[in-house]
Amino acid sequence: MTEVYKHIHPSKYFNDYINQDVRPDGRDFDQQRDVIININGITSADASAIVKCGNTTVVCGIKLELARPKAEEPDIGFLISNVELLPLCSSKFRPGPPSDYAQVISNIVSDIVINSKCVDLKDLCVVTDKLAWVIYCDLVCLDYDGSIVDACIIALITSLKTLSLPTVTYDNETEEVKVDTGVKIPLQVHGLPVATSFGIYHKLPRNIILADPSAYEEEMCGGIGANLIVCWNKGLFCGIQKFGGCNLSTEDEKRTISLAKQRCKLVEQVIETCIKNGEVK
Amino acid sequence: MPLDYKRFNGPEDSVSYKRFTADYLKSYDELHSELIDETGHRKDGRAMDEARPMYVRGNFVSQAKGSSYIEMRGTKVVCSVFDPREIVHQNEFSTVGLLFCEVKFAPFACKRQRQSHVPDSEEKALSVALRKAVGPTVCCQLFANFQIDIFVYIIESDGSCLAAAITAAGLALANAAVPMFDVVTASSVAIIGDKIFIDPTEDEEHLAMISPDTNTNHGVITMARLNGLMQIADFRQIGSLDIECILKVTDILEQECQKVFPKIQKTLVGYVKNGIMEQKRLSEEGKAREAKLKDKMLEWRSSIVNNSV
Amino acid sequence: MAGILLSHTEKVYITHGVKNEYRSDGRSNIDYRPMELETDVVSHASGSARLRLANTDILVGVKTEIDVPKPDKPGLGKIEFFVDCSANATPEFEGRGGEQLANSISNIMLRAYQSAQAFNLKQLCIFEGKQCWKLYIDILILECGGNLCDAVSLAVKAALFNTRIPFVKAALMDGGNVDLQLSDDPFDSKWLDVGSAPLLVTLCRIGEKCVVDPTAEEESCSLVSLIVGVTGNPKYYNDYEDEEELPAFEAKCSVISMHGPGSVSPQNLRDAINQGIIAAVCLDEALGKTLFRERRDTEQFKRHSYGFLK
Repeated sequence: MTEVYKHIHPSKYFNDYINQDVRPDGRDFDQQRDVIININGITSADASAIVKCGNTTVVCGIKLELARPKAEEPDIGFLISNVELLPLCSSKFRPGPPSDYAQVISNIVSDIVINSKCVDLKDLCVVTDKLAWVIYCDLVCLDYDGSIVDACIIALITSLKTLSLPTVTYDNETEEVKVDTGVKIPLQVHGLPVATSFGIYHKLPRNIILADPSAYEEEMCGGIGANLIVCWNKGLFCGIQKFGGCNLSTEDEKRTISLAKQRCKLVEQVIETCIKNGEVK
Repeated sequence: MPLDYKRFNGPEDSVSYKRFTADYLKSYDELHSELIDETGHRKDGRAMDEARPMYVRGNFVSQAKGSSYIEMRGTKVVCSVFDPREIVHQNEFSTVGLLFCEVKFAPFACKRQRQSHVPDSEEKALSVALRKAVGPTVCCQLFANFQIDIFVYIIESDGSCLAAAITAAGLALANAAVPMFDVVTASSVAIIGDKIFIDPTEDEEHLAMISPDTNTNHGVITMARLNGLMQIADFRQIGSLDIECILKVTDILEQECQKVFPKIQKTLVGYVKNGIMEQKRLSEEGKAREAKLKDKMLEWRSSIVNNSV
Repeated sequence: MAGILLSHTEKVYITHGVKNEYRSDGRSNIDYRPMELETDVVSHASGSARLRLANTDILVGVKTEIDVPKPDKPGLGKIEFFVDCSANATPEFEGRGGEQLANSISNIMLRAYQSAQAFNLKQLCIFEGKQCWKLYIDILILECGGNLCDAVSLAVKAALFNTRIPFVKAALMDGGNVDLQLSDDPFDSKWLDVGSAPLLVTLCRIGEKCVVDPTAEEESCSLVSLIVGVTGNPKYYNDYEDEEELPAFEAKCSVISMHGPGSVSPQNLRDAINQGIIAAVCLDEALGKTLFRERRDTEQFKRHSYGFLK
């Protein structure tokens, strides 16, 4: 019965919940969903991680390749990340080339990872000007229920932390490359960026901040893409992004920044525990 | 790889590092001897006629009308089905419904090389094969002029991808309450010489596609079956096989498809049971709340009557 | 391919006839209609063939180019099929209408030629790991009267039989690059070994039995059809002096596929495959004898070339 109201009169449905200080899925405004991480699930990838934030499921798979470095930057390797919003994860996405929204998310994730310098690209160079590693990180969303950037960043960082590069020997005279998969060196990851999404719901007299919005709440707060994304990296504030949507007062901004800082600590703990358990096995 | 302007691209000349490992180019005999050990068991410990244990789950994607997830050790397949919507790019009225199937590999799904994001001919061929296999089961005449989207995503591929995709699609369609004639299940078999590998892994399939120098049988056969009606929905073979081998394998495949069927049935019945119990619980809670409101209403009425008196 | 309207009674008539092995034009269930085949119709191509089967008209051209072999298959050449359904054939192919059909035909041809027992790619190798021949097979559907796969596979085999590969006189390694020397004489070439190339047979299920080479009316009575690709017998395609020196030939299936919105029972499938193999073996023998006779006539300058006049 209530499902029918959700489709006929979505704003009233949502307002009724907000007026009682609760969200449609039962959470408080500041409460965030649980994070579940699984590593090394995919054996065909060189490193992988599956992250679930509530219903939102993102799989990250890393594939390593070798290539010749660029002529103008001969001593650095490549780190390329792409986010794929599949048509199967939600009816909002159609098959075919990536939509505008998918490209925007891809760009945000790529910017966060590259600007946080968590991987030093100089580590990826094998022989200057001849051979360098290319790390292809492919993030695939299997179930879209809001906060996609959070889940993508967690999956990406976790799989980078579990990645190890095989040793490469390069013979200068014959230009022959030999790769030994038996001896592997783990990749050095500095820092741990964590992103937190917030939705801002327009309500008089004051706008309401909803932490970790689900897909339905994102739509109510101004459509997908109108989220506020705050990013922390091990105690250092590293980014804040907001594209359109409702206004944000300064106290609310401070509150979101401190909420994001707390979440950063929690996510770090989860990732460390997961990796430690993985190693024990 | 053609340049894809909507995604970040790596350098064009990047190649998988596996090409430079010592065991990249192995001869046919070496690969063959690796597959079966002295006791007649395969590389992963199975007997020749043993299929991999299958984990089946419905309701995997919360945003889809119906979805399923199938895992057979190394092969992991997700499928989701959406509500009927209008047929794109069509002007005339169509008296039957359409099925739109898309199969995609994850870029990290195959261990040999990285798949590109642009669908290549293999993915297109698999999409067509899936539509042919699932087509006979769906009652298309009941949703005239609409199209139902079936999306299959292969997260990890280790052989029998098409069979897993067909079974996943059948389960997802049933989970989405799309009207169907029967449940479709599929299985595949690889033949190398006189050895028949049931539910082959990727190494076994790869070897079965290569012909040895002698004229022996080699090939891969995939069959999709409608189990209640006992009919074959799709049969595809590649390689080079003689007629007795094909006839023998047809029987084996029918049995394999039949073995998968009870798992799918159990999953579907389980979800229906849960759904009914959930509805029962909600309606009881609703009734309890209504009864409380009614009591309060009577109390309020009687208090008004008392006050006015 | 244009909509044939048949009444229910006509469909019953056809179905009952097929059950008793009688078809409306007097053929049995595994008889083909008469075909016309001519090779070497396109002078620019390395090999070509044109086939007419009732209302279906197919033109195949084969081009050869030098290419680098795949890194995981250094001793094999490459082969690629391209099918073009032009709007000439039927009005349904206008724009991108024929694309799906073209993709499915080229896909099934690729699968049929995938096995080395069907077509051995080793004969296309020049220098292992560095250079090989790549065959581009272009198939043009000039007129579509049903039964496309059979006609396409026959025409492709005829065109490949007609293909000449230039003789490589010398291949020298020149500091990482390969230097090829081809002979100047255009007739100094070798023929391809296509004896075992597969032929596809389409079997339409009408009622409980299957028919080969259906007319348009018969196709509209059937819901599902089976395509069987059977390897050929090299005996008919080569000049073998001594018949005993050949190993015993066994017809093998190189591809099986199903088309159409229906399904088949397992017994139907078995019967259909058996029928398909019998039909393919007869077809292969007839094709081989025809092609061999044409080649002999050409060598003795007795051949009369019709081209596109007929």
